[in-house]
Amino acid sequence: MSSHSEQRINNAIDSLIAHLIPNDPREDEETAQDHHDSCFELSNASNAFRKTNRPPSSATAASDVNHASDLIRRKLMNSNPAHAQRFSNLYTRLLSLPVLNQKWAMLYLLYQLSDSTDPSDSVPYNPLPPQTLKGQAQAQAQAQAQAQAQAQQARDQQRETIRPPEKERPAKGTSSAPKRAEEEAFNEAFAPEGLRKYPPPPGKPKETATKHAPTEETQAPLKPAPPSRDVSIKNVKLADNHVRTNPSEMVLLRDLPYTLQGLSSTTLPFEKGNTLALPSTLPVPILSLLHTLAEPSLLFRQLSSWVKTPATGLLHQSLRATIDGELRSYLGLVATLEAQIRRALATVDENAPRSGIGKAGVTLKRCVVWTREATMGLRLMAVIAEESKNKMGGQLITLIHSFSSSHGDPIVGAFAERLLSQVTRPFYDILRNWIYDGELSDPYEEFFVREKPEIMIDPKATPRQGGSSVWDSKYELDSDMVPSILTHEFAEKVFLIGKSLNFIRHSCGDAAWVESYSNTAAAGKEELRYGDASGLTAWVNDAHATTQKRLMALMDTRFHVFQHLKALKDYILLGQGDFIALLMESLAANLDRPAGAQYRHTLTAQLEHAIRGSNAQYDSPEVLRRLDARMLQLSHGEIGWDCFTLEYKIDAPVDVVVTDWGNRQYLKVFNFLWRVKRVEFALSSTWRKCMTGSRGVLQGGGGEADWTWKTTRGVLAEMVHFVGQLQYYILFEVIEASWTELEMNVRREGCTLDELIGAHTKYLTDITHKGLLGARKKRGQTTQEEKEAVQIPAGEDTHSYLAQLGELLRLMLSFRDSVDGLYSWSVSDFTRRQEHDVRTTTSKAAGGRISQLQRDASRPGSALSTTTTATGGGLAGEDGSGTAAVHSEFPELQRVLKQLGITFRSKLQLLLGDLATQTDADMKFLGTAMNFNDVYQPVVRRKKTAHGHSHKTAAAAAMVVGDTTSISSSGRRGFLGWIWIWIRIRAAALFSETLLQLSGKFPGLLIAKPAVVVVVGRREGYRQGEGASLPCQEISSPAVSSAVFAAAAAAAVAAAASNVSATDTAFDEKGKEKEKGKAQITRHTTGMLLEGSRLGG
Amino acid sequence: MPPADERTGKQAAAQQAVDILHEIATILNCQLDRRTLSICISMIENGVNPEALASAVRELRNESVDIEQQRLAAALGGRKRQ
Repeated sequence: MSSHSEQRINNAIDSLIAHLIPNDPREDEETAQDHHDSCFELSNASNAFRKTNRPPSSATAASDVNHASDLIRRKLMNSNPAHAQRFSNLYTRLLSLPVLNQKWAMLYLLYQLSDSTDPSDSVPYNPLPPQTLKGQAQAQAQAQAQAQAQAQQARDQQRETIRPPEKERPAKGTSSAPKRAEEEAFNEAFAPEGLRKYPPPPGKPKETATKHAPTEETQAPLKPAPPSRDVSIKNVKLADNHVRTNPSEMVLLRDLPYTLQGLSSTTLPFEKGNTLALPSTLPVPILSLLHTLAEPSLLFRQLSSWVKTPATGLLHQSLRATIDGELRSYLGLVATLEAQIRRALATVDENAPRSGIGKAGVTLKRCVVWTREATMGLRLMAVIAEESKNKMGGQLITLIHSFSSSHGDPIVGAFAERLLSQVTRPFYDILRNWIYDGELSDPYEEFFVREKPEIMIDPKATPRQGGSSVWDSKYELDSDMVPSILTHEFAEKVFLIGKSLNFIRHSCGDAAWVESYSNTAAAGKEELRYGDASGLTAWVNDAHATTQKRLMALMDTRFHVFQHLKALKDYILLGQGDFIALLMESLAANLDRPAGAQYRHTLTAQLEHAIRGSNAQYDSPEVLRRLDARMLQLSHGEIGWDCFTLEYKIDAPVDVVVTDWGNRQYLKVFNFLWRVKRVEFALSSTWRKCMTGSRGVLQGGGGEADWTWKTTRGVLAEMVHFVGQLQYYILFEVIEASWTELEMNVRREGCTLDELIGAHTKYLTDITHKGLLGARKKRGQTTQEEKEAVQIPAGEDTHSYLAQLGELLRLMLSFRDSVDGLYSWSVSDFTRRQEHDVRTTTSKAAGGRISQLQRDASRPGSALSTTTTATGGGLAGEDGSGTAAVHSEFPELQRVLKQLGITFRSKLQLLLGDLATQTDADMKFLGTAMNFNDVYQPVVRRKKTAHGHSHKTAAAAAMVVGDTTSISSSGRRGFLGWIWIWIRIRAAALFSETLLQLSGKFPGLLIAKPAVVVVVGRREGYRQGEGASLPCQEISSPAVSSAVFAAAAAAAVAAAASNVSATDTAFDEKGKEKEKGKAQITRHTTGMLLEGSRLGG
Repeated sequence: MPPADERTGKQAAAQQAVDILHEIATILNCQLDRRTLSICISMIENGVNPEALASAVRELRNESVDIEQQRLAAALGGRKRQ
C-alpha cells in the first residue's frame, strides 16, 4: 500500500516538475534530464524528510482543522474584505463536498503558496544577472533599442546551438546518469549566486556554433515570445536605474518608527517648533514620501504635548484622556509597523538592488499607505485640540458633535463619534447628578445649567426670600452651553427637572422624597451614555412627569396654592361681595377722616368684624390668618379712603407663583376696585337720600328747584349706571373670565409649576390690561389724539384709562358732594317754607297758642316741644339773613352741578371713544354696554348746546332705574291718592314710633342735632317725620330708609291686597332695579324689604 | 449501472472540488493553474505534507525562473558575443 502511494507520489512529482519547469529548448536532453532529476531529488528529499516527521506534524495539524481556513480568512480580511466573504462561501461549499479527505491540508498548501509572484513577472524581481552587469547598466540602457533588434538574432543563433541536443531528450528520459561533470556546472548555476559565473553559457554556443543549419524552421514559432519579455526587461532597467540614495531607504525605514513616535533620529531629527528636518540629499520622490510621513509624526508630537498640558474643566480633561487613548492606539500601530520593518530589514539582502526592499514587502510607500488612516485621525484630533482652547463644556461637545454629524466624510464622522462617546462621559455624569438629585456638581461651570451669580440678585433680591429665589434666580439655563447632542426643548426639560428637585428639596422641605426618588430612579437605570438618545429622552420625560407631578401635588396639598389664589380673588379682587360690602359699611365713617387719623387696630377690628359678619367666616383659618388691613404709605392731606388697603400675605414657596410683581398687581387692582366701590357706595347712599327725600322734603320746592332736582337725578342715574357697568365689567367680564381661564389652565392634567406661574401671570396681566389699569391708548389713533391734544394739553398719562377713570371717579365724588349740598339746601328751603307756613298760621291764630307752647316749654320733660320752640325761635330770628344765604347758594349749586354733569359727560364720551377703538373684544364690549342705546356720542367732541340736548334725552333714558319712585309717586298720585295718604300716615306713625323708641334708648342720638320733627299738616294733612335726613348722619341710613320703604311696602301688601296697582309699584321698583344688573342694589332692595317687613311686623 | 453512476458522480464532485479550490487559489493569488492544482490535490490526498509540498512548489518555481533567466542571459550573451 505504502509503496503504491509512494509510486503515485513519485508520478505526481514527476508531472509537477514537468509542468512547472518549462521545457527549455536550448537545453539538451541530458541537462534537462539531470535538471529534472535534481529537482526530483530535491523535492523528493524534502518530501521524504517531511514524511518521516509526518505523524507528529499531522497530529498537531489535525487538531485544528479549521486553522488553515482561519489563517486564510484573516489574511483576506486584512487585504480585501470582499474576498474574505467570497472565501467563506467557497469554504462552506468545499466542506460539503465528500471527495477530499485532506481539505485542511489543501487549504494550508494554498495558504502557503498565497501571494506568490506571477511567474511571468518574476523576472525583474530576480535581478541577479542584471546585478552582475550593473556597471554596464548605462551602456545597456542606451543600447536597449539595439538589443531589442539584435536579441532576435542572437536567440536564433543560440537556438541553433541548442537544437541538436534537444533531439536526444526522449532517450534521456530513461537514463539520467551520464555527464556528471556538466551537472556540476549546472548545480553551480542553480546556486543563488551561480549565475555570476556567467561565461559558460556564452562559451557553450561558441562551441556549438558550427552546427546550426537544421533549425531554421523553428524560428517562426518562437518569434512571438520576445515582445512579452520586453516589459520585463524594461522593469529590470527601471530597477537598475534607481539611484542609490543617501541615506538609503533602508536607513530611512529603520528610523521611521522613531520618527512616527515623535522621536528624533539621526537621519530625521526634529527641530524646535514642530518641524522635521529632512535630509537634503534625498531625491524629490523620497522627499515627498517623507513629507507625507512627517505629517502624522508632527501631529503626534503636537498632540502628545497638548495632552500633557493641564486642563481646566472636566470635559477638557476627558477630551485629553480620550485623545491620549487614541494616541496610544496609534502607538500600537507604530509598533506593528516597526515589527514589520524589523522583520523586513532582517531578511533583506544587502546586495540586492534597492537593498532588496521591494522583495521584503516593506517600503516607504507602504508605510505611507499604512499610516494613512491614522493620519486622518491625528489630523482630526489636532483640529479638535486646536479649536477646543476657547470652548467650554457644552460648546466643546458641540464642536466634536459637529464633526460627527455634519461632516461628509464617513471616516471622520465615525471617528468623531467614537471620541464623543468618551468625551461626553463627564457631561453625562453631571446631567445624571442634576436630574437624579437636583444638585449641580459642576466645578468648572461646564453644564448648561448654572447658578446665577450672586451679584445679579444681590441688590434687589435681598427683600425677597425663599421660594422665588430658588425657583427663578438660583439657576439659569445658558442656551450657549447646550450641546448640540441635545435639543433645546430637551435641555429645558432637564433644567426644569433639576430645578424642581432642588426646589422640592430646599424650599418645600421635602428632601426625603427627593432621596427616595433618586434612589428608585437610579436603581433601574443604566449609566447615561452618549448614543442612547431614545432611552435618554424617554427617561427624561419620565423624570419630568414624576417631578412635576410631585411638585404640583406639594404645592396643592401642602402649600394650598389654589386656595390662596382663590382667596386672593375673593378678598383682594372683591369676589366675596358680602364681606366687602360689610367692610365698606363698617369702615365708611372711619375712612372719611384724614389718613393720619387712621389706626391699625381700628382697621383690623373692622376687618375682623367684616369677616365674622359675612360668609368669610367659613373660610379656612389658614386663609383668614393672612388677611390684613393696613394703610398705604401716608401722604399729606389724603383721607382714609385713599390709603386704605387690604393685604393678603403670601410666604415662602407660594411666592413663586404670587410674586412681588403679582402682589403689586393685586394691590393695584384692589385699590382701583376699592375706589370704584367707594364711589358706588357714596352714590347709592346719596341716591337713597334723594329717593327718600323726594317723598318728603324735596317736594314742592317750586319750579326751578324741581327742575334742578330732576336734572341732577338724571346725571346721578347716569353715574350710577356708569359705575354699575364698570363694576360689572371688571368683576364679571374680566376677573371671573380670567379666573375661569386660569383654572382651566391649571387644573389640566400634567400642569407644571412653570405653566402655573405663566398662567397666573397671564391672569394678572389680563386683569390689569382689560380692567383698564395698564392699557394705554393705542398710538395709532393720531387724529383723535390731535383733537384731544388741543383740548387737554397734558402728557400721555391723562390718556391712560386709569387716569381717565380716576378723573371720572373724582368727578362723581364731587358731584355727589354737590348733590348733598343741594339736598341740604332743599332741606333748609323746605324748613324755611314750613317755618313760614307755621308763622303765618301762628300769626293768624291768637297768642294763646304761643303761650300754650311756652307753657309746654317750661316743662323740662318735653324735649320735643323744647326743640321745636328753639328751632322756631332760631328760624324766626334769622329769617331774613337765612333766606338770603339760601337764595345765594342755590344758583351756585345749580351751576356747579351742571358743570360737573357736563364734564362727566364729555369725559365719559372720550373714554367711550377710546374703548370703541380698542382691539380687545371685551373692552369694546364695555363701551357697548355703557352706551347700549347710543345715548352718548363717543369719540367726537360736542358743543355744550348739543350736550344740553342730549343730556335731556340721556336723563330720560337713564332715569328708568332711579327715578321710578318719583315718577310713579308723582304720576299716580291722582288715582292712588287715597291709598298713598293712608300709607304715608301709617308709615309716619310707625316711623315716629320707632323714632321715639330709639330716642328713648339712645337719647343722645336725637338730641345731638336739632331735630326738625315738626308736625305740620300739609296738602294731605299727614305728619311727616323729617327723620330721613336727620338719622342718616347718626344711624346707618339703610335702617331708617328701609324702615320707611318697608313700612310702605308692608302696608301696601297688608291693606291693599285687592289693589293691584299698589303691589305693582312695589314689584315694579324691584324689577327695574334688577334690570340694572347690580347685585348690590338688588341685595339692598330685598334686604330692605325683608328688614322692613320685620320692622313692620 | 450503479458503480458507473457513482463513478461519474465522484468525478463531478472532484471536478467541483477542483473548481472551488482553484477559485480560492485565485483569490489568494497563488498563481496555480488547474493542472498544477490537481496534481497538488492528488499528492495531498496521498498524504504528502502540505508544507513540504508548498516549499517544493516554490523551489520548482525558482528553478523555472532560473531557467528563464538563463535563457535570457544566453540571449543577451549571444548578442554581446556577436
